[in-house]
Amino acid sequence: MRLSNFLCVKIISLVLMAGGLGFITPEKELIAAEPKPPTQQELAFFETKIRPLLATHCIECHGEETQENSLRLDTLAGILGGGSSGASVIPRDTKHSLLLAAVRHDNEQLKMPPDEKLSDAEIQFLEQWIEKGAPHPDQLGNHDIKPRRSAIDWKTARNHWAFKPIRRPQVPDSTSDQSPIDAFIDSARKSQGLVPNQPADKRTLIRRATFDLIGLPPTPEEIEAFLADESPTAFEKVIDRLLASKHYGERWGRHWLDVVRYADSNGQDENQVFVDAWRYRNYVIDSFNQDKPFDRFVIEQIAGDLISDDPKSEWTQRDYDPIVATGFLELGPKVLAEKDTNKLEMDIIDEQISSFGEAFLGLTIACARCHDHKFDPISTADYYALAGIFKSTQSMQALAPAKYNEQILASAEGIERKAKLDELKKAKQAEIDTLVKSANEQLKNADGKLPSDAENHYPEETRQQLTQLRQEVADLTTKAPELPTAMAVQDGKATNVRIHVRGSHLILGEQVNRGIPTVLQDGDPLVIGDAESGRLQMAQWLVSPTNPLTARVAVNRVWRWHFGTGLVASPNNFGKLGASPTHPELLDWLAAEFMANGWSLKKLHRQIMLSDTYRLSSATSQANQAFDPENRWYWKTSVQRLDAESLRDSILYVSGQLDETPGESMLTLEKWKLVFDHTSKDTTNYDSHRRSVYLPVIRNNLYDVFSLFDYATADTPLGNRQTSTVAPQALFTMNSDLFLNSAEALARRVSQDEPNDQEARVQRAYELTLGRPPEASETARFLDTVAQFKTALKSRLPEDQATTGAWTAACQCLLGSNEFTYVR
Amino acid sequence: MNVFQPSPMTRRCLLQNSAVGFGYLALTALLQGESNQAYGALKPQVAHFPARAKRVIFLFMKGGPSHVDTFDYKPKLQQDDGKPLPFEKPRVQFAATGNLLGSPWKFRQYGESGSHVSELFPHVAKHVDDICFLHSVHGTNPSHGGALLKLHTGSDNFIRPSMGAWINYGLGSENDDLPGFVTICPTFAHGGAKNWGSAFLPAEYQGIPLGVASQPSTKAEVKYIENPRWSSDVQRLQLDLMNSMNRDHLGDNGNQSSLEARIQAFELAYRMQSKMPEAQDLSQETAETLEMYGLNDQVTQDFGRQCLLARRFAERGVRFIQVTHSNTKVQWDQHGDLKAGHTQNAAEVDRPIAALLGDLKRRGMLDDTLILWGGEFGRTPTCQGNGSNGRDHNPEGFTMWMAGGGVKPGHHHGATDEYGYYAQEHKMHIHDLHATLLHLLGLDHERLTFRHAGRDFRLTDVHGHVHREILA
Repeated sequence: MRLSNFLCVKIISLVLMAGGLGFITPEKELIAAEPKPPTQQELAFFETKIRPLLATHCIECHGEETQENSLRLDTLAGILGGGSSGASVIPRDTKHSLLLAAVRHDNEQLKMPPDEKLSDAEIQFLEQWIEKGAPHPDQLGNHDIKPRRSAIDWKTARNHWAFKPIRRPQVPDSTSDQSPIDAFIDSARKSQGLVPNQPADKRTLIRRATFDLIGLPPTPEEIEAFLADESPTAFEKVIDRLLASKHYGERWGRHWLDVVRYADSNGQDENQVFVDAWRYRNYVIDSFNQDKPFDRFVIEQIAGDLISDDPKSEWTQRDYDPIVATGFLELGPKVLAEKDTNKLEMDIIDEQISSFGEAFLGLTIACARCHDHKFDPISTADYYALAGIFKSTQSMQALAPAKYNEQILASAEGIERKAKLDELKKAKQAEIDTLVKSANEQLKNADGKLPSDAENHYPEETRQQLTQLRQEVADLTTKAPELPTAMAVQDGKATNVRIHVRGSHLILGEQVNRGIPTVLQDGDPLVIGDAESGRLQMAQWLVSPTNPLTARVAVNRVWRWHFGTGLVASPNNFGKLGASPTHPELLDWLAAEFMANGWSLKKLHRQIMLSDTYRLSSATSQANQAFDPENRWYWKTSVQRLDAESLRDSILYVSGQLDETPGESMLTLEKWKLVFDHTSKDTTNYDSHRRSVYLPVIRNNLYDVFSLFDYATADTPLGNRQTSTVAPQALFTMNSDLFLNSAEALARRVSQDEPNDQEARVQRAYELTLGRPPEASETARFLDTVAQFKTALKSRLPEDQATTGAWTAACQCLLGSNEFTYVR
Repeated sequence: MNVFQPSPMTRRCLLQNSAVGFGYLALTALLQGESNQAYGALKPQVAHFPARAKRVIFLFMKGGPSHVDTFDYKPKLQQDDGKPLPFEKPRVQFAATGNLLGSPWKFRQYGESGSHVSELFPHVAKHVDDICFLHSVHGTNPSHGGALLKLHTGSDNFIRPSMGAWINYGLGSENDDLPGFVTICPTFAHGGAKNWGSAFLPAEYQGIPLGVASQPSTKAEVKYIENPRWSSDVQRLQLDLMNSMNRDHLGDNGNQSSLEARIQAFELAYRMQSKMPEAQDLSQETAETLEMYGLNDQVTQDFGRQCLLARRFAERGVRFIQVTHSNTKVQWDQHGDLKAGHTQNAAEVDRPIAALLGDLKRRGMLDDTLILWGGEFGRTPTCQGNGSNGRDHNPEGFTMWMAGGGVKPGHHHGATDEYGYYAQEHKMHIHDLHATLLHLLGLDHERLTFRHAGRDFRLTDVHGHVHREILA
């Protein structure tokens, strides 16, 4: 096959892929044609040099009949309006006219015509023509020179359910004591002819709520208290107790960390350690525990550095929270060894846009990096409007070698004081060096050599001086320790970005102003000062009442984390290819309530958990199951497997091993070091009994519990964790130290609690792990197996060890059982 | 979009009629997962068109072996040794390099095909008539990490499933008791687990690592395959108790497929505990075989064991097997000390690779097993390092080779320029390599898709072109 053929095929397929539905570029990006009519001379030039050239080489694929990549070159409108990669000609701008870039064949991804390059003379004609302002007979008024791709039909685009404004819907007629959530659910369920389950029993309910809110099982004592409380507010009290627990933030903060692809290392090509990432993690946990209004929480993560309170002389740690919050923008995986620093920068921006879009808006904006989004009304212009905001933000302090940006967590005074002390220290060190040098000079013998213990031979006075100076240096070091730093952004040089054709920084098109996606713009564009990045304006817009997405996306996430499925089944994609809401009115009602309640997550939890819907039993009825196996209409509560963290934490908890103190960093490496270099040696230590949220999240090599039990990938925003059931999980349950040691600890715990009565011991084990007493037959089966274990172990172990072993083996079965692993 | 799935009965029937084992578990698990994403996973498992290869063994040479010193003979490079490169170097380079550096190794022609091979690979050279050389492979990223990710996942800047995961997703495992994708002694650097990960594909399709590059291959085993405490009879008792508890629980909870699947998973794990060590038990091999793979020689025994394990997994129906030549160094990355480094590296792999080719052939397995050999990039024909004894990374054009499974034997496809810097004829981008690899397995790279984040993803993204010229 000829090389040229190959290229041709490749490019055409690329073009076809990129062509798509050809969403129309918004008005803001269009270029006006030359206002003056062309002269006769100019027209002659076009007719003799340009038209024949276009007719011969271009029109077959970009003419009236066919418009590859939505581009036609037979009219001025088509030429100026361009294809899905943007305008093909910008009058008088040879540098950014894609037509020229294409015919020059200077970029691998954009070579036209694909099979044969134009002659140098032909290319020159095109250059001259564009320099003259692209004079064209269509300007004489024979044709409408408004570009063919007229403004996008925003009315249609905004008709998509997710782009419509949030209006509080009417709650369906209901019995007087029914909550609005139940009214919406009930009305939809009735229309399907489904009869819901009865409420779950109290044991099931408290277990469900406790795992749900704090990721741990209830203790036998908590269960007893709930069973004994016959007041109508008993469950409400449980929920309030759990919401007030510090473990609430550890559980729900961790949900949010899935969305923001949290990790303690870069992953990707060079796995640099993120020594300060934990500050962001703890900020998230704290924010959930404080019930920080979600709108504030959003603003802080995008633009916290720009809303920090007025400078104070002494800041408390909490004053730095908004700065630490911008770690959200820093946490993404980056191609750190990318040698092309322009590409590196645009890749980082892309990662930020992608995560920002999915996390807050539920939109896959990053699709528009190379071409207009194929399914959602997001153009490349929209993408590069956002890119401008991120490009005007300093996310990296250096690109070669690549280093993420940091902010020092200290007041201006503190930084100044540290600098002064450092200076002083430097001066003292210099004094020491001078002293040593001159003393050495004097000591040197004829052949210029020094004794190995030179210092011992210094004059007494010098030695005293040295001791004194060294003490001073040591004191200064103590007085001015390294200041804490956070992974955080700051505003950089404000700039607009040109459209990168096909996502390549080597082919630049039109420049777009910094701003937000047009389809979401209600009214005027953001007002962004020339020197500002626009991040703050964007953050404020995110949570403004006119934004239809942020609140909807947020309440849907909360619903998903409670029920296992969102009202919109694709929490990160509210676009055309995402799922439609099963209960659109309920979603809007929740979103409206959420905003009206000051964006309080804890209020939202209470509303949801106090509904009858939340309290349904998980029993299966054949008829309902056949009609609605996915439980789309909430006729039962779906059984959910414990996630990786809850599984590990609960095993440690019931065996009495969980360390409940909050954690800071557990990394052992210094800043900028690689977790894995070419040695492939793993120095990360997971040997801790703290809650899983505090364990290091090492991209490219997640902790085994995490990688086996469907933890977040930690690379991209995740809205739905998967639930896989695979043999390696069973191997881990059967053979890992975590399970074996916890089973042993549990066996010891129950034998200490019930040293004499074996049946009571079994009961204690069941109550600790499964939250219920065993049936008599279960106790018998358990004790029978313990005896069999003992027989099997006796041949190899002394009596007492065989006994402990037998109870350990049996307790391991409780920890590995489905009943322990699945929440009903 | 329809986010709903057929009724559970239908699905269960489907599962019972399809390959069980790992495939079965994967599918049942998916039913519980993200329904709108999972649905697609049920559809493949069947090739798009007749496969020429059933499985792949990828011999990965970490660090970037020099093509101009091994399989890409460049007489002009020898001739112009020491002269400046007469054309421009790439816009983006890893580091600066100097003038042209002739190969310190002599080349000879071998076999009916008269293929040129340098004296670094005397054993592989005997098999040239079974090999299809790809001389025009090229990538985009000149750094190790980016290039490894590009080669293994098709993307250096986005998170994507690895090619082994795609193939496992497309075809599943042929063995109920073993995973469909294993990677022996992989490197944790430069992408680490992403190079065998499943990214947004269901976790079932990711590679199962055996050991790690920093340890000798004698220690290569699946994690948690052995119990440090219980004997097999105690474990059997444990499973019986747990099964009994789980069946009671199942009765209370209306036969939910995920609860059932979990019971099966424990039984499979229990079987794996014996099947996996059996697959890795080299005492079943003859003395002649061990000798052939170089297991009696200090230099070759580590990689030889990996190659022999690969054959044993291939025999047992594992779909994608990767072996990695890497240890605690960057292995083939000779920026300096080219002569000693490449001599040592080649000596470690030459005999084992030749043994694998010969062994598969005599067992009749080479016909449906595809071998892929190569590194993340090649090396520059220009020199680097002290004493002009090193070469820099070169993703612009380098040699990989395939053998067996439906490729033309004794064939040379594509070419670099006369010095070996840029791919020039029949340029084969990494995307093309992937497209061709999938094609050989009976998979259409444009149809092997997975719906994620609002669109269908492919191993080859929007690129890739099958190089039919190399198909037998």
